[in-house]
Amino acid sequence: MTSLTSTRARIDWSGIAFAVLLTLVIIGPLVVVATWAFTEVWRYPNIIPQKFGFRFWGQTLGRPDVWNALMLSLKLSTVVTLLSALICLPAAYAFARMKFPGRDILFFSFLAGHAFPKFGLLVAIAAIFLQLNLIGTFWGVVLIQLVGTLMFMIWIPVAAFQAVDRRMEEAARDVGASPLRVFWSITLPQAGPTIFAAVLLSFVGTFYETEGAWLIGAPGIRTMPVLMISYINNQMVIQYGAVLSVLLWVPSFIALMFARRVIGGGAFARGFGG
Amino acid sequence: MSEFVEKAVSVPTETAAGRRPIGLLLVAIPVFLVIWLVIWPAINAISRTIWRTDADGHSSFDLSSYAFFFSDRYSLDNLAVTLWTTLVCAVLLLVICLPIALYLRFSHGRLPAYVQALAILPMFVPSIILAFAFIRVLGPNGMVDILLNAVGLPKIRTPYLTPWGPVIGLVWDNIPLTVLILLSGLGSVANQSIEAARDVGANTIRVFWHIILPRISNSILVALSFSVLGIFSSFTLPYLLGPASPEMLGPFMQRTLRDVQDPIGAMTQAVVAFGFCILFGLFYVRSVARNRGK
Repeated sequence: MTSLTSTRARIDWSGIAFAVLLTLVIIGPLVVVATWAFTEVWRYPNIIPQKFGFRFWGQTLGRPDVWNALMLSLKLSTVVTLLSALICLPAAYAFARMKFPGRDILFFSFLAGHAFPKFGLLVAIAAIFLQLNLIGTFWGVVLIQLVGTLMFMIWIPVAAFQAVDRRMEEAARDVGASPLRVFWSITLPQAGPTIFAAVLLSFVGTFYETEGAWLIGAPGIRTMPVLMISYINNQMVIQYGAVLSVLLWVPSFIALMFARRVIGGGAFARGFGG
Repeated sequence: MSEFVEKAVSVPTETAAGRRPIGLLLVAIPVFLVIWLVIWPAINAISRTIWRTDADGHSSFDLSSYAFFFSDRYSLDNLAVTLWTTLVCAVLLLVICLPIALYLRFSHGRLPAYVQALAILPMFVPSIILAFAFIRVLGPNGMVDILLNAVGLPKIRTPYLTPWGPVIGLVWDNIPLTVLILLSGLGSVANQSIEAARDVGANTIRVFWHIILPRISNSILVALSFSVLGIFSSFTLPYLLGPASPEMLGPFMQRTLRDVQDPIGAMTQAVVAFGFCILFGLFYVRSVARNRGK
């Protein structure tokens, strides 16, 4: 508040205070985890580890449960993202370009999931899956994670399709391009980057999805986040969890780099109702 | 909404008429999924907990599972700790995020850009990694203990496995969206109106109270609704960082369903959670729909 327009020339004390506090509180814990991942010996009360090294990377990556979980997570995320793209992108195109009865109400129906506290809804879904014998199965988890991607995968592409310049499409059609050709050469290149962002976000989101996988998947389906829960609960070697955290953070980092353009502008927050 | 509808209307009519059934067909599967896996489970949970089938196969109106929930000491303690956590988190989020958002709105340059990047970063840290980091920093013999010990101070009383554990984790996790939503609301406060108020002698507090606050009250409510919906039934952080008893509704529901194998009990707890969140949920959905429609 002290930095309202007139004080711009002065030293930005509040900015420095925010920067220092947030660095400590947000970056600090992540640095501690990263340090643990490259530590071989760190006994209390030493401020820095006695011995750095990669020994635990070999041990963690050599564990079959880690590999199984990683493969399963990648498989789940790929299947969910592909299915989601397959059913959502045509729907997004229809919402953006076609006129049909009940269009607006159907479009806003994807908001329904946000009217409920999320885990309560998951429990209600699990009660149905219990009767359908979908608990503890791969496809049960696919279904629950698929529902989680619907809104992102429809609303973002709808905005992308609506942003495409219609005059260019009409011009192409005027010179005799077929509808498919117009879609391929005009519509897709313009809407493509945003759609790719939605696909990437839903892949990363699915990869980290913990609650549905834990509630529906246990005990048969152990994804990376679920494996991590058991590592935390069972107090295994600290470094296993740290190495997994660093590994797990890689996809998130890619998404972060990619989303930098999308986020920051108000558009993203407005999508959340801001 | 109006612009949205206009865009729809502007679709060339000759194609619209021809494609009418195709449009419905294209959206059918996602809409079916929403009905089957969002709307139906909610209705199913309510109907199966109030319209119960007894041992003889007769179904009748029966509120006994709710009567049990609201008379059972343990359930009530869990509900109380859930309400307490949600309230404390909401207040803390507002106290932390409003100053950050105000600072970001009224400054330019590299320092605010850095502050904004930090405030958004938790969005890209999965809560499972956050839980692990929390234990290594604030847990017994964690980094804070190490540092305190180094300067000769006693250890902290660790918040790990106390009700404050989930509070700290959930606040950390919810900072980015709260800041973004508040910042987006602050975008509608015009610089001129603030300068005008300053010209007539209003101080910082009066500017905030009379000019800024009224314009962003809706954004504050949206941010609060969003975090209340997320926090009230959160699972991962309370499960990993909170006490085993009393536990928040999230872990409580999970245990009732999977460990105790009592789906009716779990659904009752879920419906209670719906009931407590319904106003926030409807308000949030209305705001998103209105914004999206603009």
